[in-house]
Amino acid sequence: MDKKTIKFEIVTLERVVLKEKILQVSVPTTSGEITVLPGHIPLISILQAGVIEIKLTDGSLDIMSVSGGFIEVMKGKVVILADTAERAAEIDDQRVNEAYTRADELKKKLKDHQGREFFSLTARIDKELARHRAVKRWRRLKGIK
Amino acid sequence: MANTKEISRRIKSVTSTRKITKAMEMVAAAKMKKAISAVLKTRTYANLSWETVLHLVQAPISQAEFSHPLLELRSEIKRVAIILITSNRGMCGGYNSLIISKAKESVKKHNLETDFILVGTKGSIIRNQDYNIVADFKKNDLITDSQEVYPLAKMVLDAYQSGKYDKVLVAYTDFVNAVTQVPRIKQLLPVTLENEEYLGIIGKDSKIGLTPEDAAAREEKHLSQDDFVYEYFFEPNPQEVLDKMIPRLIEVQLYQAFLEASASEHSARMSAMNQATEAADDMVNELTLFYNKARQASITAEIAEISAGANALAE
Repeated sequence: MDKKTIKFEIVTLERVVLKEKILQVSVPTTSGEITVLPGHIPLISILQAGVIEIKLTDGSLDIMSVSGGFIEVMKGKVVILADTAERAAEIDDQRVNEAYTRADELKKKLKDHQGREFFSLTARIDKELARHRAVKRWRRLKGIK
Repeated sequence: MANTKEISRRIKSVTSTRKITKAMEMVAAAKMKKAISAVLKTRTYANLSWETVLHLVQAPISQAEFSHPLLELRSEIKRVAIILITSNRGMCGGYNSLIISKAKESVKKHNLETDFILVGTKGSIIRNQDYNIVADFKKNDLITDSQEVYPLAKMVLDAYQSGKYDKVLVAYTDFVNAVTQVPRIKQLLPVTLENEEYLGIIGKDSKIGLTPEDAAAREEKHLSQDDFVYEYFFEPNPQEVLDKMIPRLIEVQLYQAFLEASASEHSARMSAMNQATEAADDMVNELTLFYNKARQASITAEIAEISAGANALAE
């Protein structure tokens, strides 16, 4: 059986995280989670912090965390320009938790809930949460396997 | 001629200096390698984001006229900001002086009110030269994280959007190869879609510095490969996407300038230290020759004395 595939590429400023042919991908955009299948119409959208789920050609799933960026869907090709992105297999969960608690404490200490600092902290918390969720999902997947 | 003891002391000191310059050369070489690979890695992102902006602007959409404050040329340019990227430390030949003089030249040519934003400590030389400096950013010797440029990018974007500046330039040293680095001034804001400067598509080969014509040719080739017209669907809407995309593009560009500058710095230091090592080698050779001559002279003098004494006794 010859399945239709999408050329998928996810890059950050520092590296190319993944470049492969895939069957489908789900990404968190600012207007909700979308799933891209082969033959999707061209689309450009903004990503928010969350988990990306990819179905590889052998049917297995790969999980990634992303902290924001853009997705561009072209004919037969999907490009994600991420601010930061990591594959779940590469994330160290303990450190994620530590980073999250640290950021959360800092946020509680802040009196002013309007300033730039507040927003950057919130973004950091979102990012760490996304990483945490990615790891959890990854673990569950592996457990099933 | 100086005595042997003095010469041997000098030989020792030159040899130990040579050790230091050799070590610095090796350190610079390692750092240069890292900096170059970072530039290459960033390219994929830079190219893809640039492509997306081009697609956005070319997309035939009637409901929204694509215009963005950061893309528009201002009719009157009153105030210019120059971001001057220099190194933190010396010992890198003419690296800093070249880029500083290039920046000064451009100020003279423009003849507009200019503010300087310094990056790296060596740029502060211009402090006592009657230039207006508005900010001084620190930078690491080896740039590995794009987050380093965010505060700077935010500062210039804010200042540009508020109308404080009508043009923002970056003065950095472009890395062509390990022996050639070219000081260059690039326009950061407003973003020009006609790529006079290579912001456009760049190939994957390791040649980092490119002529604008070269880059334009590559871009042409790259974009003509897929010739169907893109009719994009935007979420939430084109304006918002552009609003997010263009500042990001500025950050990417700045980050690339930083990386190029650091690759240039380390290779400049490497060649400067290489020359210093060679000079030390020459000096040691010369001093050794002097030392041997002095030694021989003293032996000859001693023999002459002894034989003179023997002769006197024999008579």
